[in-house]
Amino acid sequence: MALITPDTKLSEIILHDPSTITVLDRFGISLGVGDLDVAQACLQHNINVNFFTAILNTFIHEDYFPQDVLAQFSASEIVDYLSKTNSYYQHNVLPNIDRHFSFLIAKAPSRNNNLIIMKQFFDEVKSELLQRINNDSNCLFPTVASHSTTCTQHCCDAVTNHDYTDTIEDKINDLINMLVVHLRGDYDHNLGFAVVFAVFSLKKDIKQNNRIRNRILRPISNATAAHLGEYEQ
Amino acid sequence: MSSLKVIITGSNKLATFGLRRMLNEVFDVDAHIVDAGDLDALVTTVEPDLFFIDTASFIARLSFFLPRKAKTVLLAHGSHDTIDHGIRLLNTHAHSESQLVNALNVILEQHVQASSTGTTLTAREIDVLRLIASGKINKEIAQELNISVNTVLSHRKNITAKLGIKSVSGLSFYAMMNGIV
Repeated sequence: MALITPDTKLSEIILHDPSTITVLDRFGISLGVGDLDVAQACLQHNINVNFFTAILNTFIHEDYFPQDVLAQFSASEIVDYLSKTNSYYQHNVLPNIDRHFSFLIAKAPSRNNNLIIMKQFFDEVKSELLQRINNDSNCLFPTVASHSTTCTQHCCDAVTNHDYTDTIEDKINDLINMLVVHLRGDYDHNLGFAVVFAVFSLKKDIKQNNRIRNRILRPISNATAAHLGEYEQ
Repeated sequence: MSSLKVIITGSNKLATFGLRRMLNEVFDVDAHIVDAGDLDALVTTVEPDLFFIDTASFIARLSFFLPRKAKTVLLAHGSHDTIDHGIRLLNTHAHSESQLVNALNVILEQHVQASSTGTTLTAREIDVLRLIASGKINKEIAQELNISVNTVLSHRKNITAKLGIKSVSGLSFYAMMNGIV
């Protein structure tokens, strides 16, 4: 698909890549988009059209990352978007995978230990992701959004020095490989597909949004921490 | 299934002879009866595909069978396909010969399916994977196996390439799934 511009129809975007529904939802746009184009939708929902197109293009096009453009937006805009992204993981994606996995195990014709072990692995990934979300909500996001001087150096270091992001991505990739390559035994195929699709969807979302997180938000956080250092000296 | 190498170990000789005959004649499997005490010597020359073992021998040789639990089939009375740790069960109190043949067929088919994935690790890679799963770092693995850290890194690289699994957690869960730990 060509890059999204203010003239692009929302329906065209969704029909090209249905996973964008979840991104639009973070801006308050739900299904039933009618004939609206991007500019009209942004006007209706009071959204910065340049920010909206930059986020959508970053999500859809793996090779597209307008670092300079994104860096021009306010930190609070980026934090707001990433907060909604975290909320989507916490309240939609993770419970959804959890539910599918539990059904998959419960509906297996006979006890399938592989599935039980994979679920334990998913539980570990989920716990790590929730820990990162908690850290974002309590430290990183408030600090970056307000360029706060109240966050302690220790708190900022805890965020910037522990690369949870890569670890989570690695583990999600591993979970997908375990499901796709190493799954054995009896299982309900439809429920198996549901788990794989749901984990793939999480993988894509995290991968695309980590680019914004790591290349836009972290530099702001690091700059804030450096500024704090100078301020304290 | 003629390429499968199966070992039968049990104190009830009549049962072991019967099982060997069934495996050889019905499934064309290369099955042999081996005393529990001779298993260590056997695996230095050939690593069998499956072990059919009675409960008493399994308990007596836990340290031998637990690392091989993915290859172990327990000969016992029970209605479940598997017991703890994913060890498979062959119900010796089946009601009929056809029930027994069907159960054996499922076990052998599952094994063939599992072996046909092209993800076979070498014995040394399994040693390294077991130590990774037990939380050891590269230096500790090198010391334990008496190899260099570079060799450990090389094994890790090969394991990841074969399995498509990179993280320590992922490798640990894979090891659990396959009876390596």
